[in-house]
Amino acid sequence: MQLTYLEAIRQGIWEEMDRDPTVFCLGEDIGIYGGAFKVTDGFIDRFGPERVIDTPIAESAIVGAAFGASLTGMRPVVEFQFMDFIGCAFNQISNMVAKTHYLWGAPAPLVLRGPSGGYVHGGPFHSQNPEMWFVHNPGLKVICPATPYDAKGLIKAAIRDSNPCIFFEHKYLYRRIKGEVPAEDYVVPIGKANIAREGHDLSVITYAAMVHTALEAAEVLKNDGIDLEILDLRTVSPLDREAIAQTVKKTNKVIILHEHSRTGGLAGEIAAIINEEAFDDLDGPIVRIAGLDSAVPFSPPQEHHYLPKVEDVVREARRLKAY
Amino acid sequence: MGTKKPKSRHNSSGNRPRNGASRSKPNNTGARNNDLRTYSIPDYRLEHPDFTVRQRIEKDRHGAEHVHYEVEGDLNAPVPPIRDSKYLDKQQSIEIYRYMLLNRKMEVALENLYKQGKVVGGVYFGLGQEACSCASAYALDKDDWFAPMIRNQGSLLVRGFGASVTMMQYMAKADSPTKGRDGTSHFGDIKKNNMVSPISMLGDLIPVMSGVALGARLQGRNLAVMTYIGDGGQSTGVTYEGINFAAVQNLGLVLFVESNLWAYSTPSEMQYRCKDLAERAIGYGIPGVIVDGTDACQVYDAAHEAVERAHRGEGPTLIEAKMMRMKGHAIHDAASYVPKSMFDFWKKRDPIVRFENYLVKEKKWLTPKENQDLIAEVERIIEEEREIAVNSPMPTPESAEGGVFCEDGCHEIKPKYGMPKVKKGIGGFKQTEAAVHLK
Repeated sequence: MQLTYLEAIRQGIWEEMDRDPTVFCLGEDIGIYGGAFKVTDGFIDRFGPERVIDTPIAESAIVGAAFGASLTGMRPVVEFQFMDFIGCAFNQISNMVAKTHYLWGAPAPLVLRGPSGGYVHGGPFHSQNPEMWFVHNPGLKVICPATPYDAKGLIKAAIRDSNPCIFFEHKYLYRRIKGEVPAEDYVVPIGKANIAREGHDLSVITYAAMVHTALEAAEVLKNDGIDLEILDLRTVSPLDREAIAQTVKKTNKVIILHEHSRTGGLAGEIAAIINEEAFDDLDGPIVRIAGLDSAVPFSPPQEHHYLPKVEDVVREARRLKAY
Repeated sequence: MGTKKPKSRHNSSGNRPRNGASRSKPNNTGARNNDLRTYSIPDYRLEHPDFTVRQRIEKDRHGAEHVHYEVEGDLNAPVPPIRDSKYLDKQQSIEIYRYMLLNRKMEVALENLYKQGKVVGGVYFGLGQEACSCASAYALDKDDWFAPMIRNQGSLLVRGFGASVTMMQYMAKADSPTKGRDGTSHFGDIKKNNMVSPISMLGDLIPVMSGVALGARLQGRNLAVMTYIGDGGQSTGVTYEGINFAAVQNLGLVLFVESNLWAYSTPSEMQYRCKDLAERAIGYGIPGVIVDGTDACQVYDAAHEAVERAHRGEGPTLIEAKMMRMKGHAIHDAASYVPKSMFDFWKKRDPIVRFENYLVKEKKWLTPKENQDLIAEVERIIEEEREIAVNSPMPTPESAEGGVFCEDGCHEIKPKYGMPKVKKGIGGFKQTEAAVHLK
């Protein structure tokens, strides 16, 4: 079945709610309205208002309540209207949910999901990629899918996981990409990267919308005789260290590409992993391509300037190939 | 089409008067004033202490200015009697008294362990608040849940954790519930005693406990979920979010607002402006009551009624318990900022002395001999518990590792009260292109 990225997520949650009565959704405007992006469209009629709960605009209360319900053995799925608002619940996530298993042995099987990312002119409070706030929080799994197949398989894996999972849905991809999604039940394992494109000359390590940017760049670079390998991380915490090391060992040159700001970004962590796992295999400097160290600006020319682009990847790949 | 009236989900919403709101009575001129609404907050106290703490600037003899707190008001009022409970019998009253004794003696033991250098970090005391901790938790049923704040060490005893558990937490021992990973009352138990671990950030437990009630309700159970917040902690935004969530979802939250007058060194006058924190309940549309936090009977009765409401599925209750924190914030803090006359006033209202007097002299439910025996028994228990705690080993350095995630089947995730009953509607999966926020 051909599904959009958004439909794949919707179908994943739908199937889990159908399969498991302990799964329920809570969030702002997810009921009759079906969510700001319509991910839960039709859910309230099918599963009832007890399992599809419209909440007050109170992110700390939503996450707190989801955590409390998870302590009774439920599997709550929280929608953030935009992932930018996850900061409103930061203490609840970082100090309550993430530490609970380590400190007192209580599992917290909950999913916090919502749209993130730029390229839609959403402005500084509707375009962010706040995944790094949580990568630096032991106890959380952080998932950022790039394709409909992975989005469905990973949301199902997240709902079935015994740990708190934060699931970033790239809003630029929601309706822009379609892909084949099998009708039968499947999950994509959390923590496993995927080779999105096999190549020999240099590796681009990336995830989410940037996978598609890298794929476009690969088509351009093909004409230069540069064969890109693209590693789609799929999960940014825990990172697939083995897959990162493998691709570096294969191509010996690496670009790390992410949408969020450069300083303190994921590229720094991946560069350190490469240093630890594959230093001797490097034939050139590790290159970072990332968003600017500023808020995501609103006006389209400014936003375009802020965000990584196909031409950035093409330029850096040519430079690195020649190194 | 039938003519059946559609059912509304919650009977709490809609047009019924909320929280005792009533139409105003005719005013003096005989005209009905529809612009004025009135609300009521029951106040069960037998006295209404009336004093104010202010900052005062004084010059010393060198002309330098110093700021300190001073108190104004009637600090010589006589101590009120204990209010007879509507629900507690003799045996229950004695049991609460016994827990209060255990609470205090445990804290004395902790103070001694601290002085012997056996405690890691500080010790937090609930001195003067034992009636509130013990009588509140005593009102819960076995299946109900609770989450203490740092001073509610008495609640832990009532809910089945021996004194050695809290002592081992303070000493960071390997056999403590967190195996040394956290201290004080920061531990939980979702299997047996239904306790959620507090964190140091205040207010976050309120939505969490509401969520416990939500999870249980989805499994067909109306449970009471009790937690506490201080006059300081209630200033946080998440307190508002959590109570409001419980209110709109009609969840069985029983929230004790422990007005103990001092938040670390800041007096309640600098935390909030309203007269009584129970008034906040009006804004949430839930019942609020005021009790004397040093009177175990008042605390129990209010808690019992709130727990019963929760069990009937009638939603949350806010109980303000008024008392004073009789030590500093923690053991290092001598509380020299508190005017001495306030300590004197509240010392006369010591919850244990008053309850002892009530049981021995007024009710004659305990003979002086029985009381002495009870105190001796409690002291013996605390000594035994102290021994257990002291003899527990320290954790190994390596035990800092692992357990960050629940993996390899370390916990089975299953509904605690039974599989939720699901209703399936007719709707099918939608593949739509609806109008959305940002394309």
